[in-house]
Amino acid sequence: MKIWNFLKRLNARGPAATAFFALILGFIIGALVIIATTAVVLNAWRHVFSSPTAIFSALKVTFDNVGAAYRAIFIGAVGSPSAYSHSITTGQGWTNTIDPLSETLTYATPLAIASIAVCIAFRTGIFNIGANGQAILGGIAGAWAGSMVHLPTALHIPFTLILGVLGGALGGLIPGVLKAYAGAHEVIVTLMLNYIIAFFLLYVTLSTALQQPGQANDISRTIDGSAVLPPIFGTGSGLRVSYGLFIAAAVVLFGWWFLNRSTLGFDFRITGANPHAARAAGINARRVIIFVFLISGGLAGLAGEVQMASTTHFVDGGFLIGSAGVGFTAITVALLGRNEPMGIVWGSLLFAALNVGGRTMQASTGIPLDLAAIIQSIVVLFVASPVLVKEIFRLHTTTEAVQLATKGWGQ
Amino acid sequence: MSVETVEVTKALKQPHGRSRVIAGIIVGLGLFVALVFGLGSSGRAKSQFTFSPVNLSSNAPWHLGALTVNTRGWNVVLGVLIIALGTEVWVRRPRAPMLRFGLSSIIFLFALLFWACRTPGPSQIPFVNLTATLAGSVGIAMVLMYGSLSGVLCERAGVVNIAIEGQFLGGAFFGSMVVSVTNSFLYAALAGALFGALLGWLLAFLAIRYMSDQVIVGVVIVTMMASLSSYLNLQVLTPYPNFNLGNTASTTGIPLLDKIPVLGPVLFNETWFFYLAVALVALVSFGLFKTRWGLRVRAVGEHPKAAESVGINVARTRYRNVIMGGAVAGLGGVAFMATQGQFQPGYTSGLGYVALAALIFGRWKPSGAVVASILFGLSAFLANGLQSYSVPVSSEIIGMFPYIITIAVVAGLIGRVRPPAADGVPFKRS
Repeated sequence: MKIWNFLKRLNARGPAATAFFALILGFIIGALVIIATTAVVLNAWRHVFSSPTAIFSALKVTFDNVGAAYRAIFIGAVGSPSAYSHSITTGQGWTNTIDPLSETLTYATPLAIASIAVCIAFRTGIFNIGANGQAILGGIAGAWAGSMVHLPTALHIPFTLILGVLGGALGGLIPGVLKAYAGAHEVIVTLMLNYIIAFFLLYVTLSTALQQPGQANDISRTIDGSAVLPPIFGTGSGLRVSYGLFIAAAVVLFGWWFLNRSTLGFDFRITGANPHAARAAGINARRVIIFVFLISGGLAGLAGEVQMASTTHFVDGGFLIGSAGVGFTAITVALLGRNEPMGIVWGSLLFAALNVGGRTMQASTGIPLDLAAIIQSIVVLFVASPVLVKEIFRLHTTTEAVQLATKGWGQ
Repeated sequence: MSVETVEVTKALKQPHGRSRVIAGIIVGLGLFVALVFGLGSSGRAKSQFTFSPVNLSSNAPWHLGALTVNTRGWNVVLGVLIIALGTEVWVRRPRAPMLRFGLSSIIFLFALLFWACRTPGPSQIPFVNLTATLAGSVGIAMVLMYGSLSGVLCERAGVVNIAIEGQFLGGAFFGSMVVSVTNSFLYAALAGALFGALLGWLLAFLAIRYMSDQVIVGVVIVTMMASLSSYLNLQVLTPYPNFNLGNTASTTGIPLLDKIPVLGPVLFNETWFFYLAVALVALVSFGLFKTRWGLRVRAVGEHPKAAESVGINVARTRYRNVIMGGAVAGLGGVAFMATQGQFQPGYTSGLGYVALAALIFGRWKPSGAVVASILFGLSAFLANGLQSYSVPVSSEIIGMFPYIITIAVVAGLIGRVRPPAADGVPFKRS
């Protein structure tokens, strides 16, 4: 029970414990979902009605199935312990051993960038649900810059990155201008833009010069080798984790500096904390709104560009669509990380691990990858309601001001 | 000049400028129709409308022949009509300019259809079936009516329900399962409403008791339902296709009324989900504005503190309304499934959010929400319908139309409409 006491004390200090307990609840409910939908488990429990002793075998079947799923997530995201011990003792097979870790980092790279994008908007009191659309625009712009413009590597990579930022910023400018000058609520505008941009992606990959020549499918040209973000361990290593990781690190540092040390970031935070005080202090609300969307959209665009330039090297009609939507996961990561850049680092690593491990789980146990998204949304539901978590685990309630990130329709 | 006068002039002037912008956009639309679809088509080109219901009520006692008109002349007339609407907005500055904008976009889409089906022209289909077009739009409008009605119920009590999309998905999923097993849409509707109510309760529980951010909780409920329904689809519906047969509800004609040309098949030969939607709109409209219950709900949404001081239980009112709203949205999901058939992941493609826009357009009133739903339904269906004609605009661009119109409407409206004052604000008893 020492751990329990430790966690309780931790909770008195900060919201980290809320996130931790939310995670536990997420996994418990995820397990219930698995149990309720796996035929073997349900059959095992059916026998309990006829013979009470069957309860042990039923429990065993349950734990086996749930355990297999979660073990597959762990192995797929971090690597298997046996492979590690094999590599450590023999010094061989490191590539295979750390490949899961490399995949997790590859997934976490754009996720962290997009989460910082969402976080900066949240801190200003703006809910940018459009990060995914902006990331798609960034990916499209990057694919254009990488495949239609030919430059030496030293210039090409920065050029594609900048174009990615610009593409995303352009996508952010629309809701920004509409909110600042017409008062349109950003939630509806960015949600609708996500659908519009999904159609735009299809249009670009089907009917413009960006389409891969000789292709009838919705697929774009592949970017030049000079625009690819190279893998850290070399192209031949087979490990995909790329130098984009350093870009993500730089973005996290930027986010921290921007929110805590810069003048504009200060204006943003004041506006988010108390719009009336901000107005009284002479902060131009319209300027803040436009800049939030430019910066948030630009970073989201960068996330899309990094995703494209480090993994696929092209965009297709399914780029960041549906369950691959990094920008949607980013919302949950920003909330999980309590809108703090360091919290976001942990949050994006964790949710990247869930998603990457989820793929392994789908392959080895047949349980759909969607389970990862279910667990994530449940975790965030609990993170958004810290008092509920504290009640469930009977923790000491600390008085914690509930700050709303979003405002009603009228403003 | 004192501070007050400055504010008053500002308040008067701002809508003025916005009216001009909206008027400008409408006139631009009209000019485009007149010049491109009208004068841009050859003088010999003809467009044809047909009126016979395609497969709605094959035994209509009437037959209206096709109406053939000159494409150029007809579209010039439509263009002038739109310009007239724009001029009216510019000169008279009416209270509802966006209604004119909505009408203009519908006329615009119709003009585009007439132009697309012209003969001689590139299209395979040389006619536009007016009856089928309207009937299809009503199908979408019905779902939007359920959605925006759910929004009215929740937001009038002061809780923003962004989870409508999730309630649609949940209702559609369980509705499809129940109707496949029991073969009864009554049970499906009950199951969908029950599940929607459950999601409504979840939103209410977190928003009222724990004062969580309503927009965030709503959005997360949507992601949860999107992934859960996709998960269950793979785990349950794919291995057992008998759970997802894709039955669609049959239509019931209202005697006599369904014999009216065009309007009959469109409005009076519908599934009972449609009649239920109309009845619910009337019921909620009456309840909100004519009964004691409605007065209390509106008081809770406008000024919860005042409501509490006269003895109204704010939390209970909100719980009740959000749960009812969830049930209505769940029904909407079943209604969608009853017209579209088999459940698929990502089934409702953002209709829940469009319903929210319809709610704002309708000024948080059930009757307004109906008008808005019809406008959005028409635009969505016309945009869909255009894809079967050879239009020189790619189908992906056309697919954006309904969403663009939604954004335009929302951007043009806010500041002119006022949400319930306590909408989205958690209430803490003092």
